Amino acid sequence: MSNTTSSTENSMLKITDLHASVEEKNILKGLNLDVKPGEVHAIMGPNGAGKSTTGYVLSGREGYTVEQGSALLDGVEILDLEAEDRARAGLFLAFQYPVEIPGVSNLEFLKSSVDAQREARGEEAYTSAEFLKVAKEACKQVNLPLAFLKRGVNEGFSGGEKKRNELMQMILLKPKLCILDETDSGLDIDAMQVVANGVNSQRSPDRSFIIVTHYQRLLDYIKPDFVHVLSDGKIVKSGDASLAKELEAEGYSWIHNEPADELEGDLL
Amino acid sequence: MSLWLEKAIARANSTSDWLSPIREASLTALKETSWPTRKTEAWKYTSLKSVERASLSTGDLSEQETPEEIAGFESLNLIFRNGKFDTEGMQQALPEGLSITYLSSASDALKQASLNEVSQIKPERHLFGLVNDVLVEDVIRIEVAESVSISQPIRITSLIGLNSESHTRVYVKLNKASSLTVSEHYQGNAESLNTGFVEYEICAEAKLEHYRFALQTDKAISIGGCHFKLGERADLNSTLVGFGSDLSRVDTDIIYDGEFANAKLNAFYLLDGKELFDLHATVEHAVPNCTTLENVRGIVADHAKAVFNGRIHIHRDAQKTLAELNNRNLLLSDKAEINTKPELEIYADDVRCAHGATVAEIDKHALYYLESRGISRSKAQVMLNFGFINELIDQMPNQVLAEWIRPQIRDRFAKMEVTR
Amino acid sequence: MTEQIDKALEREYEAGFVSDIESETFEPGLNEDIIRRISSMKNEPEWMLEWRLKAFRVWQEMEEPDWAHINYSKIDFQAISYYSAPKSMKDKPKSLDEVDPELIRTYEKLGIPLIEQQMLAGIAVDAVFDSVSVVTTFREKLEEAGVIFCPISDAVHRFPDLVKKYLGSVVPTKDNYFAALNCAVFTDGSFVYIPKGTRCPMELSTYFRINELNTGQFERTLIIADEGSHVSYLEGCTAPQRDENQLHAAVVELVALDKAEIKYSTVQNWYPGDENGKGGIYNFVTKRGICHESAKISWTQVETGSAVTWKYPSCILKGDNSVGEFYSVALTRGAQQADTGTKMIHLGKNTKSTIISKGISAGKSNNSYRGLVRMNPGAQGARNFTQCDSLLIGDQCGAHTFPYVESRNPSAIVEHEATTSKVSDEQMFLCRQRGIEPEKAVSMIVNGFCKEVFKELPMEFAVEAGKLLEISLEGSVG
Repeated sequence: MSNTTSSTENSMLKITDLHASVEEKNILKGLNLDVKPGEVHAIMGPNGAGKSTTGYVLSGREGYTVEQGSALLDGVEILDLEAEDRARAGLFLAFQYPVEIPGVSNLEFLKSSVDAQREARGEEAYTSAEFLKVAKEACKQVNLPLAFLKRGVNEGFSGGEKKRNELMQMILLKPKLCILDETDSGLDIDAMQVVANGVNSQRSPDRSFIIVTHYQRLLDYIKPDFVHVLSDGKIVKSGDASLAKELEAEGYSWIHNEPADELEGDLL
Repeated sequence: MSLWLEKAIARANSTSDWLSPIREASLTALKETSWPTRKTEAWKYTSLKSVERASLSTGDLSEQETPEEIAGFESLNLIFRNGKFDTEGMQQALPEGLSITYLSSASDALKQASLNEVSQIKPERHLFGLVNDVLVEDVIRIEVAESVSISQPIRITSLIGLNSESHTRVYVKLNKASSLTVSEHYQGNAESLNTGFVEYEICAEAKLEHYRFALQTDKAISIGGCHFKLGERADLNSTLVGFGSDLSRVDTDIIYDGEFANAKLNAFYLLDGKELFDLHATVEHAVPNCTTLENVRGIVADHAKAVFNGRIHIHRDAQKTLAELNNRNLLLSDKAEINTKPELEIYADDVRCAHGATVAEIDKHALYYLESRGISRSKAQVMLNFGFINELIDQMPNQVLAEWIRPQIRDRFAKMEVTR
Repeated sequence: MTEQIDKALEREYEAGFVSDIESETFEPGLNEDIIRRISSMKNEPEWMLEWRLKAFRVWQEMEEPDWAHINYSKIDFQAISYYSAPKSMKDKPKSLDEVDPELIRTYEKLGIPLIEQQMLAGIAVDAVFDSVSVVTTFREKLEEAGVIFCPISDAVHRFPDLVKKYLGSVVPTKDNYFAALNCAVFTDGSFVYIPKGTRCPMELSTYFRINELNTGQFERTLIIADEGSHVSYLEGCTAPQRDENQLHAAVVELVALDKAEIKYSTVQNWYPGDENGKGGIYNFVTKRGICHESAKISWTQVETGSAVTWKYPSCILKGDNSVGEFYSVALTRGAQQADTGTKMIHLGKNTKSTIISKGISAGKSNNSYRGLVRMNPGAQGARNFTQCDSLLIGDQCGAHTFPYVESRNPSAIVEHEATTSKVSDEQMFLCRQRGIEPEKAVSMIVNGFCKEVFKELPMEFAVEAGKLLEISLEGSVG
């Protein structure tokens, strides 16, 4: 399996022996993962296993301390970079609970993000008119009314609208690696299908995905190439899509797992 | 300086007893305090003219006068008659772990200890608190031993007779992890003046359920306060009910001294005639991680006047504080008046604070709705007003007290008129 | 994160330069003789001098107020010079060609071209430099429409009846300590009269500049909007960077007669002093308007400057159905202190007021909202809505709210809400995860916080205010 091979060539993301802590509590305890370009990996596991922590540590959230290990994104060590520089290097995190920023229009926010991205790639910033066109197109793609561009970032959005807004950002930012953190939580089947279709439309040979989820159902819509089970900060089992089905049937009880870690719950 | 204050100071000079160190300090502070005018922020809306006019003495109170019966309220009763503690009433046996002491007859050791505790919680800025310090006859000390839960509530009643000037003082200490219920009752409508201050030291993990019924009316001038200091993980649930009189003023202070403590303060006042009620509630978040929820509601009818000042002060390091204050008022007449000032003073950034205040009339739509169902206008008004306050009565943890006060509130509403 | 925000907050005061202009400045000191000299410099009629002297006697009896949540070293009123004017102004230039080019350059540097051809169409400017108005543009064009826009010192001569009738009618001499002082020593300011039923054809604007050392600026503005008229007025101000504190004590009076509407916008950017609180302007200002029947006064202010701000633009809603509005953004950083808010006095029936206040505190600053909403017995059916939001940036600043609500009418409704928030770690992280730099993120979030107020500003000013905030937040690189 790709994550057990030692080759670093052609890896989109290569995580080696990653240990990380939150408030002096060890959460990740030797995580290894190798994601090749174009692959979709699902990380599943019980509450408190460190699933969301993985996303935060990789994207450089404050309060998450890397104790040891490395993470190469397209061959570049990202663990030393500032959060915004990791984003500019092509890492995108779709949040489980996107925060609201009152008064800051979605359009302004999107343009600032995209400009930053383009600047990093050495491209010209969009003019306002150009960007408006691009943004409208993305808005349609995720089935959000255009009025959402004018509203404050996530301000008063429903759960589903927030997730679609995350997806729209992904489409606009064109990242190399997308981490979807519990993207299915709080969505009904219809909303989940919209999001899944959006994600599938973004799959390409030079873009990789890590889908973090507690339930298997999202994986019915986004077919993973690999499924990993994370428990107590480590990957304890890897397999193909059928592993997710197994987990669905048997639950996580077969993993000798510590009780759910409340700390992580608080930080989500 | 007013004549009244001069006289009070003159009388204070002649007192000498175990409390003298506290009295002297307060006397010094009192001499430096100027008599409040409209320009004094703490008395901006409340005139002290009735105090200045008061010429009262030891007063007149029938021996037979007893606290109002509260059906089903099995309390330990402490009674003040015109400010004098009724020691005869204190012959009852006390539960294990509870002590009630008349401090002038206490041991020297307890006196000495009390000197370092009494007057430490009540802030010095309360003018009439200083007056109380110098003129009070003695201090009652109530103490619950560590880890003891006293299930029987303590009821403190101040009976005040015609022409009396009286001062009462209680100090309550809940030692670590103890719990207690205290209900303060101030009653009487005779021309009189009384200052009643109670200080509560709620040590770590202790729990206080508190009530103050400030129900003096008419010519009774009532000025007092309850002041709480909360240790780590201490818990306070306080309900304050106010009727107005010529001058009725309560100052509450909640001071957080340890982290993770919680306080809930519910207060409501119903004013009619020419009554005045003035509530100043201050919360000092001096340490992080504490939570305050304050809910204050008032209904003001006829020529009455309500004053509310709610101050929340978040000190520099009091991060992760949660403090909410909500003040809602209904004005029922065009001669009534409400003055409210919900203040926030914040010096820490990672806090959640909100306050809101509204002044409005009864919801006309609701009124119309009830009328359209055949309910008379006056009855409908009573129902709506009552509902507004009843929400807070429902939150009183002690059901017996809730059922006792509810009909009194209802009666008071029934008498109120909406004049517009 | 705090570090990054701190960095975002560093900035230089861009208007801090000193112009090299030869001035005629009174020696410091305040007495009746100084007031007579100010009056004679302006060639004032006897009644004006009497009015000043009366105010001076009133002021001498008054005490400096101490109720605001501010601390500042006591002002020595004898150490201030009460009059300073560029020498070149002595012979009253007749046209722009005669104005000292250095003066014109000063305003150009501040982004205010005074040559009409270069100006933004649609804005007339009165430029006040220290104690005198140096130029008022577009006067002729305005006069065609019947609009009077001139220095108040001219109005005293040209329109004595209007000045006599309205000066001090909204802010009486005795109103407060600083207003009384202003009455005694005011030097210049703008006078506006909009005739009945007239919509002022362009935005009017006054730009105040303090240049001379140790002088105070005491300007006086009087705006009268006659029945059914409409005017939008803008005010801006700057001062050089100096180690000494300087006093600015202005009075602004607005009169909106029946059905008239006045929109008054301020972008206040006096020198705020350095990070440690050295220097800066003491800004003690009284602004008040009176609304007659169905009239409307709207105050919008963006306060980013001054070491100390003490300012409560207010509305007296005297006429039935009149409307008062107050929209405010106050940003304090470094050691700045602001105590600002409004008073809405509802006297008439069905009067309405709206208060939106956004306070942003950073550094070691203190930012207070102080407001009064009063419903008098006659204010049948009156409404007020107040929203006060504070944003704290860092744990060394303070944000305070002191709202007074007084109601004496049972049919009046008052609603007051206040919240406090910070720029949250989550918001910062979301922006940074999308590749946005922390400085830019803070400025975006703060701008979003202020949006409700910015949308009230006239277009040209909204841009300026946004920029000002950005400069405040983004560091000198901008």
